[in-house]
Amino acid sequence: MNDDISPRLGRYMAKMLGIPAVEIDGLSRISGGASRETYRFAARYYRDGRAHDRRLILRRDPPASLIDTERSSEFRAYKAFHKLGLPVPEPIVLELGTEALDRPFFIMEEVQNCSVASILQPDPYGSLATTIGYQFFTTLGKIAKADPDKIGLSDLEGARTESWKHEVARWEREIDEDEREPQPIARAAIRWLKRNPPPPAQKVSVVHGDYRTGNFLYDSEGNVRAILDWEMTHLGDPLEDLGWALDPLWSHHNPARPAGTVTREHAIAFWEQASGLKAEPRALFWWEIFASLKGLAIWISAAREYGDGRNTDPVNLFSGWYCTAFHNKVLADRLSAVDA
Amino acid sequence: MRPEIDKILQTTAAQLMMQIAPELPPGYTQNSTGLIGMLLGFCAQEYENGAEIRARENRELRNLLAEMEGVVQDAKLRGKLGTVMGDSDASLKISDLNYSNAELKTLLIEVQAFLESRDDEKARLARREIWAVLKASANERDLKLPGM
Repeated sequence: MNDDISPRLGRYMAKMLGIPAVEIDGLSRISGGASRETYRFAARYYRDGRAHDRRLILRRDPPASLIDTERSSEFRAYKAFHKLGLPVPEPIVLELGTEALDRPFFIMEEVQNCSVASILQPDPYGSLATTIGYQFFTTLGKIAKADPDKIGLSDLEGARTESWKHEVARWEREIDEDEREPQPIARAAIRWLKRNPPPPAQKVSVVHGDYRTGNFLYDSEGNVRAILDWEMTHLGDPLEDLGWALDPLWSHHNPARPAGTVTREHAIAFWEQASGLKAEPRALFWWEIFASLKGLAIWISAAREYGDGRNTDPVNLFSGWYCTAFHNKVLADRLSAVDA
Repeated sequence: MRPEIDKILQTTAAQLMMQIAPELPPGYTQNSTGLIGMLLGFCAQEYENGAEIRARENRELRNLLAEMEGVVQDAKLRGKLGTVMGDSDASLKISDLNYSNAELKTLLIEVQAFLESRDDEKARLARREIWAVLKASANERDLKLPGM
């Protein structure tokens, strides 16, 4: 497959740059979730009288996408937050047509010499955990603080009022469409979320949508260098991202250290300081229940994709099996304490 | 069959994760190979425990729903609850157990939603019982990661 798309990618880039040829070298697929195929490659070309050697990332739609996401929103979010100076890779080009590489794709710079944590790895950050945790939750606070109208993202999908209702409906629909078996815990969670709405959002923010450990790159000195995977970005309550980032699934098996980094109290304090907002406990609890429900919806969709043979990436089976079991347990533990 | 199927799956899983994946070049193929190994480990757990978990869960769901018959006043829902009373799993094939499980859970969702519309002590206790069963089921179905 790599050999197949390299020449086509080279031709596309040459046309884009307005030059005779671009050599694509070392195109190889890397892990990057099941909603996009992710490739690393080098693009070599002559332009303006000098040689260029650029390390780039290609994110291409898979034959079937786990969650229907808006790729142009993802690209625009990269662009907006890169411009704002947040650790986000520079996006290069978005191609919505299917002529060049059969499916839509976009290209961005590769942030090199970095690591990404696996969610299965216990304590991946070691002695860098506090430094990374500070940057991770502070950057999330900065995303929450940004004004969508001022950074050109005011037209993202989402609701400006009662976003909670919009989000619950979105993920309930996903479960309705994709469940392969009855989901009593997910259904109970949906009813609980509807019966106990959160307080109104303090502001409308850009919500990353999948802000968590495993979705950022860090270097050996503990610098968070790139926030990735903006494919579920939308407008909404900024607490949505905080609830997701704090979810136990992303705690590297240590719920006392959200995202495998700092204590919950510190994480919230860093976020509050950077965002200028308050994470009021009742509201945050609602968004944490929502986060686990949203997780369940995504994992249920993953199981459907895998089971129907549309996308048999092992990540989909892992999500549909392990993560479903995990979030059922989280929700049963939490809701049994408040719902009975 | 000796060795048992779960032992074969565990051994194959360990070979993929510990021996084969590390020999592959870093990237998608290496990660996917390790992940497939882990999934085989889950299959081993399921081979050994799958039927037992489902049979027990179905038994507990039937007992729970039978108790709910005394709490639910809605005639139509009581009628549905009556159909599962005294029932049992005739087959221990996973597909048959899954079929019964889905029927029982569908009914449980309906009963739980019905009870949430009531505020009396009886309904509250019944909701608590439902959560106890759901919690036990979620614990039973939790998967063990290798080395955890």
